[in-house]
Amino acid sequence: MRVRVDEEKCQGHTLCAMAAPDVFVLSDVDGHASAPVAAVPAEMEAAVRAAAGSCPEQAIVVEP
Amino acid sequence: MSGTTTGSDPKACPVHFDRHTPDYREKFVEITEELQQSCPVAWSDTYDGHWVVSGHPEVFEIARSAANLSNDHDVHGVRKGYKGIAIPYAAPLQVGFLEMDPPEQRDYRAILNPYLSPAAVARWKPLAEDVTRACLDAVIESGRIDFIDDLANIVPAVMTLAMMGIPLADWPIYCEPAHATVYTPPDSPDRPRVVDQTLTMAAKLGEAAALGRTTRRPGLVDALINGEVNGRAPTDEDIMGVLFLLIGGGFDTTTALTSHSLEWLYEHPEERDRLRQDLGGLLDSATEEFLRFYTPAPGDGRTIANDCEMAGVAFKEGERMWLSWAMANRDPEVFPDPNTIHLDREMNRHTSFGLGVHRCIGSNMARMVFKTMVTAVLTRMADYVCDKAGTVHYETIGVINGMRKLPATFTPGARLGDDLDATLARWQEACDTQALAEPITRRSTPGAA
Ligand code: SF4
Repeated sequence: MRVRVDEEKCQGHTLCAMAAPDVFVLSDVDGHASAPVAAVPAEMEAAVRAAAGSCPEQAIVVEP
Repeated sequence: MSGTTTGSDPKACPVHFDRHTPDYREKFVEITEELQQSCPVAWSDTYDGHWVVSGHPEVFEIARSAANLSNDHDVHGVRKGYKGIAIPYAAPLQVGFLEMDPPEQRDYRAILNPYLSPAAVARWKPLAEDVTRACLDAVIESGRIDFIDDLANIVPAVMTLAMMGIPLADWPIYCEPAHATVYTPPDSPDRPRVVDQTLTMAAKLGEAAALGRTTRRPGLVDALINGEVNGRAPTDEDIMGVLFLLIGGGFDTTTALTSHSLEWLYEHPEERDRLRQDLGGLLDSATEEFLRFYTPAPGDGRTIANDCEMAGVAFKEGERMWLSWAMANRDPEVFPDPNTIHLDREMNRHTSFGLGVHRCIGSNMARMVFKTMVTAVLTRMADYVCDKAGTVHYETIGVINGMRKLPATFTPGARLGDDLDATLARWQEACDTQALAEPITRRSTPGAA
């Protein structure tokens, strides 16, 4: 599974980092998210799906 | 999708939607269900006619169509005469960047973000905890508290002033009018007093801004004075608008969320125990669920910026629109069992901080302050019993879904530290000598980029 944050859509709600703190990193300056991991480890897939589902802006793109 | 409006003309069958009546508060669930099922994008005949968007998919699509919407409040009639975010029209004062469009709006947010990001806000947690501790200390031996007067009004006020770089001890000057302007109706006999208090607050803010021009003092006021917006320095009038926005956004909303949540937890003692015993596992999701359910700021107005079609409905330039975050948060399409609080709700993509480019800039602060207060109450007065007869909700929820009084009793306990005045004096010294209100960009932690 791969994951990325669409920076055009992300507004820094931070819910992704609450759901999957090991996958999403919030910018110190504006709180907008990024997902530096290249491939999501299997044990974190559920948390990443939960993060994508909780993003108010639907800015998280999950690819199998 | 429930009640899709494609192909229909909502203006042909207008609704009568008035969110400023007590009826809207009392029948909120019914009114919401009816609107969502019959017309999630409805035309209401109230307040000279305006759109009301209540369905989540529709609010989601429309709120994020930035090019088709304007927040502009053209006080001096130099642009298109748009009226900002209040429906009906409130007053000829532009409420900071919430009543602006990009690029100015974006520039203001860029100036303030480094003070309000999650990393910046985390630095303020010790202050929030200490002020909360002092507030509870003041009542802990008596076994009596009014959760609003004694706690939920004070902590958000002190925190907002701290970030602004305004003397902490001045919190009462700002606190009373910040709440009273919201809950005192224009025709109330108390209105003149509230207006007086608001003028005193405005004068104090003006002083703070003027002082900031001569003596630099870190914080949001300083950032605004020395910032650049669209290539020029903000005017005094612009700065005042932003300061009013910061106070309006920082005070009453967090108070509203905290008081409603504490009231609900009292009414659901098993859930209160469950949360208290698993704060680490439940407090994050519980916070989002209280935000969803109580939506402290229930919506925002917009003006349609050009003829367009959104969510299957045709709009005309200049039309007014109410985006209801509160009603979108009860859409069963997105939130199963929407009218029940589930502390462990997942995928809770609520709209309580708004959506799109105007997302609440203080959301990180609001969450942190709320969690700090709830944690302290559940830790130090876990058996509190609310006094139903003394509880007062706002009569109407058109602007803020708030509360005025929430008295309670509990088993008395022991004080843990100094009183509020001494606590604030201690922190004032820390703010002044250690420049606590510097932006995160100037106080980088080791290892941070
Ligand atoms: S939840 Fe969505 S909008 Fe918020 S920071 Fe994460 S990706 Fe961005």
